[in-house]
Amino acid sequence: MASLPGLEPTETAATAEDTTSTDTRKRKLGLRRCTRRNKVTSHDSFLSYANGRWWKVAGVLCLVSLLAYIFAPLPAQHFGGTWLGYTLGTISAGLIVWLTLLGVRKRAMTPGTWSLKAWTSAHVYLGLSLIVVATLHTGFDLGWNVHTLAWALMMIVIVSGMFGIWFYWTLPQALSENRYDEDGAVTEKQMIEQLRSLDRQIHDAAQPLTAEDAAVVEKSLEQDPFDGSIWNRVTARYPNCATRRAAATLREARAFRPRVADDPLDRVDALLTRKEAMLARLRRHLRLKSLLQLWLYVHVPVTFALLAALSAHIVSVFFYW
Amino acid sequence: MTFLIRQIALKASGEEIVRPTTVDGDTITIGRDASCDIHLPDLAVDPRHARAVMKDGELFVESIADQPFGMNGRSVNRRAIDLSRGAELTFGGHRINVERGDGGVPVFTVRRVEAISDVSEEKDLGSVYTLKGLMPGKRMSAWGFAILVLIACLAWPIGAYMTHKGEKERGSGYHGDEIWSSGDLTLAHAGLKDDCQACHVDAFVAVRDNACTTCHEDDAHAHISGLAANDATARLVAARGEPGAFGQFQRAVAEGFNRPAGRCVECHIEHTGAGAMEDTPQKFCTDCHDGMSKRLPDTKLPDASDFGTGHPEFHPALVVQPGDKPVFQRMTLTKTAREDNGLKFTHAEHMSKTGGVAQMVRRRPGEYDGRDAMQCADCHTLDSTKVRFEPVKMEDSCQSCHALGLEMIDGTTRTLRHGEPELVAADLRAFYRSGNPPRPASLSGMARRSPGDGASQRTARDFARAVQFYPTRADGAVTRVFSKGGACYDCHVITRDGPAVTNGFDIVPAVQNNRYLAMGWFTHDAHTKYACTECHVDATRSNDASRVLIPGLGGEGGCRTCHVGGTGASLTEVKHPVESDCAMCHDYHADDGPPWMSKAPKTIAKADANRRKQVSMR
Repeated sequence: MASLPGLEPTETAATAEDTTSTDTRKRKLGLRRCTRRNKVTSHDSFLSYANGRWWKVAGVLCLVSLLAYIFAPLPAQHFGGTWLGYTLGTISAGLIVWLTLLGVRKRAMTPGTWSLKAWTSAHVYLGLSLIVVATLHTGFDLGWNVHTLAWALMMIVIVSGMFGIWFYWTLPQALSENRYDEDGAVTEKQMIEQLRSLDRQIHDAAQPLTAEDAAVVEKSLEQDPFDGSIWNRVTARYPNCATRRAAATLREARAFRPRVADDPLDRVDALLTRKEAMLARLRRHLRLKSLLQLWLYVHVPVTFALLAALSAHIVSVFFYW
Repeated sequence: MTFLIRQIALKASGEEIVRPTTVDGDTITIGRDASCDIHLPDLAVDPRHARAVMKDGELFVESIADQPFGMNGRSVNRRAIDLSRGAELTFGGHRINVERGDGGVPVFTVRRVEAISDVSEEKDLGSVYTLKGLMPGKRMSAWGFAILVLIACLAWPIGAYMTHKGEKERGSGYHGDEIWSSGDLTLAHAGLKDDCQACHVDAFVAVRDNACTTCHEDDAHAHISGLAANDATARLVAARGEPGAFGQFQRAVAEGFNRPAGRCVECHIEHTGAGAMEDTPQKFCTDCHDGMSKRLPDTKLPDASDFGTGHPEFHPALVVQPGDKPVFQRMTLTKTAREDNGLKFTHAEHMSKTGGVAQMVRRRPGEYDGRDAMQCADCHTLDSTKVRFEPVKMEDSCQSCHALGLEMIDGTTRTLRHGEPELVAADLRAFYRSGNPPRPASLSGMARRSPGDGASQRTARDFARAVQFYPTRADGAVTRVFSKGGACYDCHVITRDGPAVTNGFDIVPAVQNNRYLAMGWFTHDAHTKYACTECHVDATRSNDASRVLIPGLGGEGGCRTCHVGGTGASLTEVKHPVESDCAMCHDYHADDGPPWMSKAPKTIAKADANRRKQVSMR
């Protein structure tokens, strides 16, 4: 990749393009980027890509459609069957097909004007503009038929996409906050390693326990932290958490026992408490990651249902012309 | 007796490390407790779980606290082991193989076979943090949904079409292709709801006129009467003229997509919802009628573009010749338009609050509700449809004042027969046939009378005068009743082509025009809020019965006083405008009924609300 003068050769052109405006000012002020954490990252959201170019394009598209809908002299109702209806419908259908192609496009990354970011930005804003364009195409004449089915599926896709934008906008921040502790960021692999280490310690510490207590602790060790339904994942609530139950059971048992120094239960309890905290973090992590993925489980399959309904809609119009 | 215990541990490289120990004695213990001979650091194992006893060359394994252990895959509490065959014992995550060693020594090979915790096992980082396995796969559900939609919305409807293709009439009940219906059919076509193919005959061929004319054999294109259907369509297309550039483009695109111009369905849009068919939009009328005289030079119709701004003056059908077979002629409604209906009537005089008629009304308060003048409704009553008026009948409306009494016989009035001049003449002739007036009874005889001769002389004098003046010639009376000053002449036009009995006089049968505007629709019922004279302004001013009193387009009392064009346009300012498109009064397929207007103009409701507000403020 070509490097621009005045920048470290490791920075890519794409990075340079996005950082220039803020960086030149900082350099004049004599500020230096030294540590990784303080570095002004090159991140420019797809929402504000190119000063919101696609926001503007989509806005103009909506406005023109709306004005045409209001002012164009049409012979009768604003059905899809008028010249304006056919025009809006053709635009909408073309947009839908093009928007779907993001799935193909994203598998081949290229930089520059037609970078994936540009595509994503256009995908988001043109997709949102469909709310206006395609709804005007319906002429607000909705019913229980294939035509309204296509419209409704499109709206489901758009709304799920809006959830996606919202999640991508807010969740990464929450994700990294959740991963940081006093020792820095924890990777997903480290999360598992931490749990393994704790399990080993619990296992060792629990050796002196009675059969009943050991069985309770064993339950905690045997439980897969990644187990649980989609509902558990999304809510981060695990009512059947064996670790919590083990901690509670042991604490209850200990409450009725005379205090002795060096009670193995004390050690196990402390370790279980740590494991609980660690599980809580893991589960928050899982919850955020699920939300980041979950909307796509609606967005993508319904898109294909929409393509099918759209084909049926178009074929039916020409079939019973 | 000795036991050999071999503890096997795994190195990171997978290599096995064997640590053999020997235990002397008849019994060894197995458990989590460090003091056990076979120490299993496993939380699933009891501190002292089981013991193995060697007795008479036989090996017994039994649990100490009734906690079972596994042996050869079965959960047991005690078992004897045939050392020659060996056995596999399972305690928690550990496996112990028992076999006979050198010199018959039982050998216990201990292995940890399960990880100490679930998370310690291998985890696939690539999938464990994803929703894999928790949700149906995206690819699978995408295909599933898409195929489901294609089957329900494409295959099923096309199947329904193929099944019933060519059938004359499709059975009722839901068919797959109804899912394609873009909206309910209008009331007129609601019966075709289950039969898409009634109109959509061929796939990918736009609805053609012959689909419409299958049912509408006679009534289609009654608008252009006297032409065959094809010629009527051709004339329609001609009347619309050549479209502009955009229109030509539209037409080219439409024809490119196999939608020819001039089809019924271009104007008659269906699938617009389960109501009456939408009234024809004004544009479909003005497409042709606005400036049509230029495009169709032979047309007799004047141009019309909008009621408010471009509408020809009304052409009412007026009576030009009264009689049994009256002659009507349509002509422009002007101030000088006259109608020869065979009647003489003074509207203004009858409506006046002064003069003889008003005096008569005041003298008969019982009959006229104490009013001081006559009102329209005294003579004119709406018919049962409330659209138009019943003809005025002489017997009901005129006779109470304009009596045709001939003589009084014992308190009963003998009346001349209205409407039958020959009978009137005959009655008069019969009346005069007796020759003399009846002789008063008091003139002679023994009847009681006042004293003296005065009274009888007066009676004799009156009688003598009556005899003197008694019209002995009935001809005179007949002539007089038909001549100026006579009862018939007052209201009717008299001709001299009658029979001998009427001395040659005859009465022209009066004609009351029942519907002036035959090509437009007007209903009095929609206008009952207004006084008659607000529109029929000349009714209180004109004493000329030939004067046409229906309101015109504009001017005082004219329709444009309230009605503006379909788009609200008007030539002068209108206080409470009623938006009136063509379909309010005109119907494409005109008949005697009202037009197909499905809804009242929205502006009427507004005007009503305003009026109510004004009334409540008073």
